[in-house]
Amino acid sequence: MAAYKRQFYPGTTTPAKNRRRYMDPKVKLKKLRDVSMDDVVRIMGHRNPGEDYKSIHPPIEEGKEPDCPIRKLVAPIEGAKHGDRVRYIQFTDSVYFAPISPYQRAWMYLSRYRGVDTGTLSGRQIIEVRERDLEVMAKEMIDNETFDPALTGIRGATVHGHACRLDEHGLMFDGWQRYVWDDQKKEVVYVKDQVAIPLDRRISVGKPAAMSDLKKRTTIFRADGVDMRDDKEVTMYGLRIHKLRTLGGYQPWKVKGE
Amino acid sequence: MTSKSAPAADYAIRQINMTGESLPKTINNGPGKGLPNNHSERKVIHVGGKEVELRYLVGGFYIELDVDDEAMLDERLEEIKAACNATIEHGYTLQVGRYSKYKPTLHDYRSE
Repeated sequence: MAAYKRQFYPGTTTPAKNRRRYMDPKVKLKKLRDVSMDDVVRIMGHRNPGEDYKSIHPPIEEGKEPDCPIRKLVAPIEGAKHGDRVRYIQFTDSVYFAPISPYQRAWMYLSRYRGVDTGTLSGRQIIEVRERDLEVMAKEMIDNETFDPALTGIRGATVHGHACRLDEHGLMFDGWQRYVWDDQKKEVVYVKDQVAIPLDRRISVGKPAAMSDLKKRTTIFRADGVDMRDDKEVTMYGLRIHKLRTLGGYQPWKVKGE
Repeated sequence: MTSKSAPAADYAIRQINMTGESLPKTINNGPGKGLPNNHSERKVIHVGGKEVELRYLVGGFYIELDVDDEAMLDERLEEIKAACNATIEHGYTLQVGRYSKYKPTLHDYRSE
């Protein structure tokens, strides 16, 4: 039997194509900005730049692991090898055409990276990985096209705002005001880290993209953008799953042949 | 938050409630609990001679009107619409209805 070739996501419209693009590990996402690794570490707030990584268990090479066939099969990621703590970064994506949305983030993480534990809620999307690898992934996430300075927020807590109207500069609402609008440079600047502890210096994440550009890059189906009902394949896929779930629980014998 | 205007005998507005997204004064949970929030929108505004500190990013107003009949209600609504058109730039929606308690409930009956 031929190896299964992943199709990633159905659909022909722009949001569906973008979903496929973000999920496919062979597609290299564009890098739109360069926030230095030290700045990313400061925004996350788990350690100071330059500090050593704290560990929770001795490195794997020391050989204290029990004899287990699965442990022999799975190659540990860098952080696991050194025994790092597991730390997190949490993103909030506005519904007003943010480049990516929570479920697509989950699919993207699981498709592209190993060793991630991700949690998806309507207003936030958290990723927990060993600290070393988290920093590499977080820098990629903040640098690439899935992050828009105005419509994506790096928020550890008090995430309310993904569905609120944008303010006069197009920024998403943040109850703890972790980022502000710099009117002279027309950029978004982070003044607090993800849990609202003030940063000792302001970190700029660049200019937000124009709404017309965002509408081409988004993955959200909206009535005022691309409606999901306009994309027949995606609608049928959703309806089919819904039907099978309902039948499977209610009249399982009818599922045969569906 | 509530802001009562000076209750003149014949003027219709009894109360104005402003509402919106909450802007806390201090960070309320997490490692930064207790630190001051210093949100730029947490301003002090002047209403009818009094100072009110905004605790929310105001997006809606509930204006309680005390009117005798439909005609008076329409009159007051025209005044409010004129004020809104003059000040609110990007448009607004105005709905008339009952948004607060106006009859005693069973709980009130029990507790007295």
